[in-house]
Order: sequence, then C-alpha cells, then structure tokens
Amino acid sequence: MSDKILNDRGLVIRHDLIELVEHWAIALSGLLLLVTGIFELPMANRYYITSLPGLSWSGDFITSLYIHYIASVVFIAAAVFHLLYHGILGEGGMIPRRGDLKSSIEVMKSFFGKGEEPPFHKYLPEQRLAYVGMAFIIAMLILSGLVKTYKNLYAPDMSLTLVLWATWTHNIFFMLFIMAFVAHIGAILLKPNRPMIRGIFTGTVRLDYARHRHPLWIKEMDPRPVDEIKMKLEPVDKV
Amino acid sequence: MSADKKAGLNRRAFLKVSTGVAAAGAGVVLPGKGFAAGGKPLATLIDLSRCDGCPGKEIPACVGACRTINRDKIPKIHEPIPEPWPRKTIEDWSKKREVFNRLTPYNFIYVHQAEIDDRGQKRTVFVPRRCMHCDNPACATICPFSANHKYENGAVVIDQELCFGGAKCKTVCPWAIPQRQSGVGIYLHILPSLAGNGVMYKCDLCNDRLREGKLPGCVEACPQQAMLIGNRKEIYALAEERARAMKGFIYGKKENGGTATLYVSPVSFSALNGTMKKQPGTPDMGPAERRMAKTDKMGKAVLQAPLYGIAVGVAGAFMALSRRKDRVKGGDDSHE
Repeated sequence: MSDKILNDRGLVIRHDLIELVEHWAIALSGLLLLVTGIFELPMANRYYITSLPGLSWSGDFITSLYIHYIASVVFIAAAVFHLLYHGILGEGGMIPRRGDLKSSIEVMKSFFGKGEEPPFHKYLPEQRLAYVGMAFIIAMLILSGLVKTYKNLYAPDMSLTLVLWATWTHNIFFMLFIMAFVAHIGAILLKPNRPMIRGIFTGTVRLDYARHRHPLWIKEMDPRPVDEIKMKLEPVDKV
Repeated sequence: MSADKKAGLNRRAFLKVSTGVAAAGAGVVLPGKGFAAGGKPLATLIDLSRCDGCPGKEIPACVGACRTINRDKIPKIHEPIPEPWPRKTIEDWSKKREVFNRLTPYNFIYVHQAEIDDRGQKRTVFVPRRCMHCDNPACATICPFSANHKYENGAVVIDQELCFGGAKCKTVCPWAIPQRQSGVGIYLHILPSLAGNGVMYKCDLCNDRLREGKLPGCVEACPQQAMLIGNRKEIYALAEERARAMKGFIYGKKENGGTATLYVSPVSFSALNGTMKKQPGTPDMGPAERRMAKTDKMGKAVLQAPLYGIAVGVAGAFMALSRRKDRVKGGDDSHE
C-alpha cells in the first residue's frame, strides 16, 4: 500500500503496482476459469459454440480442463499471495468495519436519490462487504477445486461423499462467482463509482473526487484541516 | 480352505482351462460377503479362448443375464420426450429394447463375433464388450455433477438419479461406452429443453450384487467360465499366466491408463480390432491412450499453486517490511 496525494498532478495513488498485478491476475484468470468452467459442462457443442470462429476447442473437455488448470495456477497463487502479503503487512483496509451493513444500505439508497452519501474511507462500506463475500466465494472455489484436482490425479475412487461435496460446492460457488462478477461490474458502472475505474487501470484516482467522496481516506494521508486543504486545492476542484 | 481358494482362485484349474482341459466350475472367483463392500479393488478377466458365443442360444448367456438384472432399471419414459434446444438430438431406445448386438441404454453388454485369419486358419473369436471400468476413468472424474463415480472396488457406476444425460462421459470415453436414453432423469424437473437430455447408462459391474456378495450377472451366467472376477492383483497375475500359457495377448492392462477388465486372447488384438468398426454402440479394440494424462502435469502445478503463493507472498511481505523499516530509519536519521 503506497497511498499518496500527488498535489501537483491532482491525483491520489490508490493502488500500488503489486495491488494492480494481484487484481488483474485474479480477474483475468478468474474470467478464464469462468469460461472454461462453463465449457466443462456439455454445452459448447449443444449450443453451437464450437462453430464460432476461434472456439472450436470449446467442445473438447480435455483442452478446456488444461486451460482451466493453467488459469487455476495463477488464480490460486495470486489469491494466496494476496492473503499473506497484505496480512503480514497488516493492510486491512478492505476488512468490514462495524456499521458497514447499515452504511451500505444508506449508500445504495443514495444511488437512487434518497439521502446523501456518508463520507468514505478509502473503500466504500459495500466494497468491504463485497470483498469478504468475494473472498469467501474464491476460498470455497479454491478448496473444492483442489479436492477435485487431487481426485483427477491421484484418487479417482475418493469417497463419494467428499467427491459430491467438492463437486457441488464448486458448482454452487461457481454460480455465486458469476453473480458476484456481474454485481462487481454493475457497481463500477454506477455513475458515482465511475471515477474509481481509472484507479484499477492506472493506480490513481482524481484528487478532487477523492476529497469529495473519500475525505476520511484523505485525512489519513493528510491530517491538515479540510478548509485549509480546500483553499489550496481551489484550482484543482475546478478541473 | 485357504483365503485364495475361498476367493475362488484355483490356479491349477485356471491353467487347465487355458490349455483346453475341461474343468467345470473351476476358475469362478466368488467375492464373498464384504469382499467387494470392503473396498478391495477387483478386476475381471475375459478369456476369449473360452468364450464360444453361446451357440444354440438366442442371446449369449452373459447378455441375457445382464438384461434380466437390469430389465426394470430405466423408469417410464416421459412422453413426449422434450425436444432439446438448440441441437435437437433425442436418443430414444425405449421402443428398441430388444436390440442386443450393440450397447444401448437397455443393453450393457454384447458379444462381437470376429472372423479371423489366424496364420492361414479361419478362426472365430467371440468378444464380450462392455464398460472396461478404467483405473482413472475420465467419464467419472470429470462428470460435472459427479453422477458417475469410481468406487474403491473398481466399479464405475452412474447414478441415474443425478445424471443429466449430457453425454460428456461418452465423449471422453475412448470406447464411447455410455449410452443415452432421453426422456428420463432429473433434467425433466429443471430445464428440460435447455439443459440435460436424459440419463447415461452402462455396465455398473453389478455393484449392488457385489455388495451383497454376489457375482456380476455376466460372470455368474457364463457357462464357459470365460469371465472371472476377483482380487485385482490376482486377476492381473492370472491374466499374465494365461496369456503366457496360450502364447496370447492381453488387452485392458495399459489401455486408457489401465483398466479393471483384462481380455486374454490367443489371437492379437490388432487382428481382432481389424474385424471391428468403431461406430455408435460398438466400440473397437484399438490402442486407447488416456487423454487426461496430457493435463496431469498442469494438475500437479495446480496442487502446488498454494505453495507458490505462500513463497512469493511471504518473501514479498518481508521485503516490503524491510523497505518500510529502512524508510522509517531514514526518516529518524534525517531528524537527528
């Protein structure tokens, strides 16, 4: 975490390079896992996906599984890295705080014009809740996926109870992963959240946006009184 | 009676059989109660030097026994069978139940008749064909719903209550053994036109009978004792022994990475395969590689992936901590 105000450029560093690499490693490998996971269902041939240009392989379950495995290596390694790296460094900005649920409801209401948003820290309360939800989904997918992979390699005659647990956990959390992914994309498309999109590509967000919506985060980085800072930032606010 | 003999392994009798000396009743391996249920891996041996195709019988005994046992397995077919979308493939064998010369959802074993020219001599070899019960069966391991499962005793069994009939198992089976019956199964209660298309059926090695200490129907019914079942190691050893004695060949030991069904034949399997045409319901006996093997290396990398994450995560965090410490120290120094 190297959050920093870049007054001269009117920006705030929101994500460092490691966080960007983590996010995109999990996002892109997750997307590939999602697609190859769908192709592990006997659907590609039935739905003529195999006829689409460049997707003739989609009906080959072994090829899909191979790609699923490749994506899993990246996905699992990145997820475990994320947990340990930020855990050891004590970076818990995305861990939900007391009152997040209530605040999330208020924020959601404000999206539809009811009431005003409360001031935010670096992350929105619903982001913190969504993070824990997504982390749980990912953890269950990884755990069940590892059991399934072990079965494929070493123990095809593994206990049926364990196999059924792993399979159905994987299938159910796969559905939840799709829903969480759609919700994630939906959230960033909401107008008030759009300024955060550049953050996940470039690592920085606009300072005026951060001051307006994330004053508690800005205060953590720059504890000067807000009025004083506002006076200094007058030209930037007009950008 | 020794444990081996109790399990039905009388090697001398087997050798007699394989050298053509009659030994009625010898060589049938009796699992005994708890033998299969205890999870000991089993294997079956199909001795083609003994199978005569049951001359004079309308249906070979193994096929007849299997059909009798599984007669009521498939429930009533939903009429009309929902038309799958967008590919409108419906497989309905309910009005062709009498077919016994190929694999169908109503016929899990058939006997192929091979006319062979064996070193200038015409020879007829009968080859019972059914599921091989592979050691690492892709049909089971990558079934998306785990409706198909390999049990510790080696039997690969489809749970018809859980199968959606997507036929993935058939696609990944080197012999395309499982056969689909549309219009039955769980898919009817979910999205019958959009997902699923029936239930897949195949030989389950009479797993329920094995649990009760009984023999599979085909093994029990064979009047020639051409089929045997027993402890996997012993069946494997016996197959080698018989193949040596008849200067013959084995099929199923390495195919698809190894199976729990060993064919022993006095004529080569390439010659037998030459008489077979791989088409729906009639598998061939050609070389069968285990396609899943191509994914094993990457699968191992998946299992190691948490370690990669741990190694890089811990190393990265301590490097970051060290940099943070240096920065703090630098800051302290500058104050001095």
